[in-house]
Amino acid sequence: MPLNRDVLWYKDATVYQAHVRTFHDSNGDGIGDFQGLEGKLDYLEKLGINAIWLMPFFPSPLRDDGYDIADYNAVHSSYGTLEDFRKFLGAAHDRGIRVIIELVLNHTSDQHPWFQESRSSQDNPRRDWYVWSDTDIRYKGARIIFLDTETSNWAWDPISKSFYWHRFFSHQPDLNYDNPAVREQMWNVMRFWLEMGVDAFRLDAVPYLVEREGTNCENLPETHDVLKELRRKLDEHFPGRMLLAEANQWPADLRPYFGDGDEFHMAFHFPLMPRMFMGLKLEDRKPITEILQQTPEIPPSCQWSLFLRNHDELTLEMVTDMERDYMYDMYAGTKTMRLNLGIRRRLAPLLDNDRRRIELMNGMLMSLPGTPIIYYGDEIGMGDNINLGDRNGVRTPMQWNGGWNGGFSAAAPERLFAPLIEDPVYGYPAVNVLRQKASEHSLLNWMQSIITVRKSTAVFGRGSIEFLYPVNHRILAYVRRLDNEVVLVVNNLSSSAQAVELDLRRYKGNILIEMFGRNIFPRVGDLPYLLTMGPYQFYWFRLRRI
Amino acid sequence: MAEESYLTDDFLRQLMNVGEVDILIGLPTHNNVKTVGSVVHTIQSGILRGFPRERAVIINADGGSRDGTPELVTGVSIDDMRASNLHALRTLHSISTKYASSPRPADAFRTILAAAELLRPKACVVMSPESANIEPEWLSKLLRPIFDDGFDLVTPTYRRHKFEGLLITNLLYPMTRALYGLRIREAYSPEFGFSGRLGSQFLGQNAWNDETEGAGVELRFTLAAIAGKYRICQSFLGDKDRVERHAVDLVPALRQTAGALFSALEPDFPVWSVVTGSQPAPTTGSDQEVLLETLRVNRKRLREMFLAGIAELESVFQSILSPSTLAELQRIAHLGEEEFRYPAELWVRTIYEFAASYQKSVISRDHIVQALAPLFRGRMFTFLTENRNASAVGVEKNIEDLCLEFERLKPHLLELWKSRE
Repeated sequence: MPLNRDVLWYKDATVYQAHVRTFHDSNGDGIGDFQGLEGKLDYLEKLGINAIWLMPFFPSPLRDDGYDIADYNAVHSSYGTLEDFRKFLGAAHDRGIRVIIELVLNHTSDQHPWFQESRSSQDNPRRDWYVWSDTDIRYKGARIIFLDTETSNWAWDPISKSFYWHRFFSHQPDLNYDNPAVREQMWNVMRFWLEMGVDAFRLDAVPYLVEREGTNCENLPETHDVLKELRRKLDEHFPGRMLLAEANQWPADLRPYFGDGDEFHMAFHFPLMPRMFMGLKLEDRKPITEILQQTPEIPPSCQWSLFLRNHDELTLEMVTDMERDYMYDMYAGTKTMRLNLGIRRRLAPLLDNDRRRIELMNGMLMSLPGTPIIYYGDEIGMGDNINLGDRNGVRTPMQWNGGWNGGFSAAAPERLFAPLIEDPVYGYPAVNVLRQKASEHSLLNWMQSIITVRKSTAVFGRGSIEFLYPVNHRILAYVRRLDNEVVLVVNNLSSSAQAVELDLRRYKGNILIEMFGRNIFPRVGDLPYLLTMGPYQFYWFRLRRI
Repeated sequence: MAEESYLTDDFLRQLMNVGEVDILIGLPTHNNVKTVGSVVHTIQSGILRGFPRERAVIINADGGSRDGTPELVTGVSIDDMRASNLHALRTLHSISTKYASSPRPADAFRTILAAAELLRPKACVVMSPESANIEPEWLSKLLRPIFDDGFDLVTPTYRRHKFEGLLITNLLYPMTRALYGLRIREAYSPEFGFSGRLGSQFLGQNAWNDETEGAGVELRFTLAAIAGKYRICQSFLGDKDRVERHAVDLVPALRQTAGALFSALEPDFPVWSVVTGSQPAPTTGSDQEVLLETLRVNRKRLREMFLAGIAELESVFQSILSPSTLAELQRIAHLGEEEFRYPAELWVRTIYEFAASYQKSVISRDHIVQALAPLFRGRMFTFLTENRNASAVGVEKNIEDLCLEFERLKPHLLELWKSRE
């Protein structure tokens, strides 16, 4: 299947997030690699996704799972070679799958040669590539992000005998974007991958690029200037490629990252995700409608990126204290499930492995305005291992079958980069791709089906949204519209059966066609449209005036 | 058929949309537009502060307001709370139904109980729509004992002036205590909390269309809880509203208190007839606080109304009271103002004889209750006189003495009751 040439391709995409290391090991060394990933592209194509987002695969000491990059222009030897990547990229494109890679702009590993040079002497030409200081009292307004491990944003470098600035781990020094040479170098990095054929970048931790005294050093105008410069160059040299922002901010603070359609194409909607979980547990649409009401309009060429879970903790930074306490109590009963300001668990365990809730959450993911991202393994309901440190509990090997190492690797089990999930409920003998392929009603086949239905219309990716507010607060209902195409989505957030009356008078005369079974429901008349819904049930209706 | 349809279809539809809740707040109203807005605001604030995670609904049962009260109740937005830094996790519903074109407290309460029956709350509370002193904490004080400690009824206690609530201190409290054996200070109150199971039991068993027309339904609810051996406690709320009571309000007040109490005695006879003495109810906070500031009361007018009643209602009293009690009342009526005193023992005998006559229906029951009014005024005169200079402790001692008198003379009521047979 050839690649769709539409420059707004990302609006219609269904993205799959994967880590090369965790997906499939082709050479039996216990670590996933590009050849292994390439070998599984048929699986992804059949699933129906049309973009894959890869976590960092660059040379790295791997003290932050690859987000501590030591060389931007190469592939980590554990994952293969540049040539392996090129082959994978071509094979993905052949299947109509675009490839999004990570670019960590904000910082490098302290093992990166740039930092080694920078710290080597005060007059090194690369000294000014990082943010150095004689004291650790500058930029006091900046919060510490990794509260569980860091006590300051400054770290002492015994070699150059001064402090360097880091917003994340102390082994990740921040680059100095006030230096034109740094900006030019990072563009060169982007160009390197773009010329190879990469379709998009997920730019990591973008709010923190520039520091200014007297501010919180987040979302500064100077940071936006840097990003706009990169976007301008991208559009000029590589039209049709895409930038995705990782900025864990409130919607109003995120809005500037879209600029006038001249900064990011897409940005994650971080505050929505915890509120979907909250709404489900509260059996109340309020958290969801409230945050979407607060979400500003974005330029027509831009798009929100939606997700249920990813490689990080379920972040609770963008919620109130009361909401965070509620989320912890409801979803992270034991302290070991919590990390920083979040919950380090996968989708299925978060939802008690309840198939109805898993389907409902995916239904909302696929029908709310934005481009959905599926985290690898969630399509089969993989579990997590909270006994592994940091966020590694949600980064365990993909479970392909019930055989040796779950089909992930031919290596001896003790050589695997991380242990497989082996518990009776979520372990690879019970939860794996092969088994679910064979079962018509498996979660995997259901996911494949919902992706197919979503792709049957552009309305989900590009349409407007209008919330209906039936008096029954357990029902989240909205109308998606794109030109003459109208889709009604009704979600029952409750664990019990519900009746709901929808005011559809403006669609009087339309018949409702249920999109999964294509069954016809009664025509809309003058009276409120009555629907009865089972626990956690959802409907997608195409409205047709026939 | 009427029994099956006292909830309107529209109200049922609203209840259906609300669904199961954890907390139900009943708000009976009738032309309360001046006060109800702030009451609803305070209730919402109380929910957000005390029960942010619970599913809650405010049920407004309106008795035909013409001033926009229901619209105000349903229109107060929870989003208005943002000014006070309160944020709701959930949707908080306020729904309203008009149960009649004129106010009937029993029907309002029945509507609230029916809503509770359908929505299955863990805890309910009824709040007054005209309380000027309501605080957000009242919600927690009335609901927490039900939520956390498994109580079924939470009655309030208040900080009152020593001369307020005289019907309660001179009749309702001591008589309820003596008969039912539990010291509930405010058995009749516009604010109280109750469990879903108690509400359900009362809804199913109560005779809603009896001759009292539901007067004093709140009191009957309390008595039903005691008689049913439900777990009851008291919770101190704070200042009680200062509501100006006119003399004309006394008869309706007597219907709701004495009338309701008298009418409960027959069905509850197996319960109260075997009770001796009384036990304190578990209480959170103070069980009663007394304010002592100067309060002008027209005592002279009270005595005049007592004297007029004795003179005009002699034939009525002859049907109700024993000859000795009536003679004693006539004797004190001839005393001068300085000597006039309506002693506790005579007052208790009077009340017990009224209760027994009520049961025998010697004359119209409502006339019996009305006939109590002038006598109660005479007793008020005496209470005010005796406690004019009393301290808080002194007032409490006098009330306690009266309670003990009611307990001591309970056999007199039992004798009267048996003589009926």
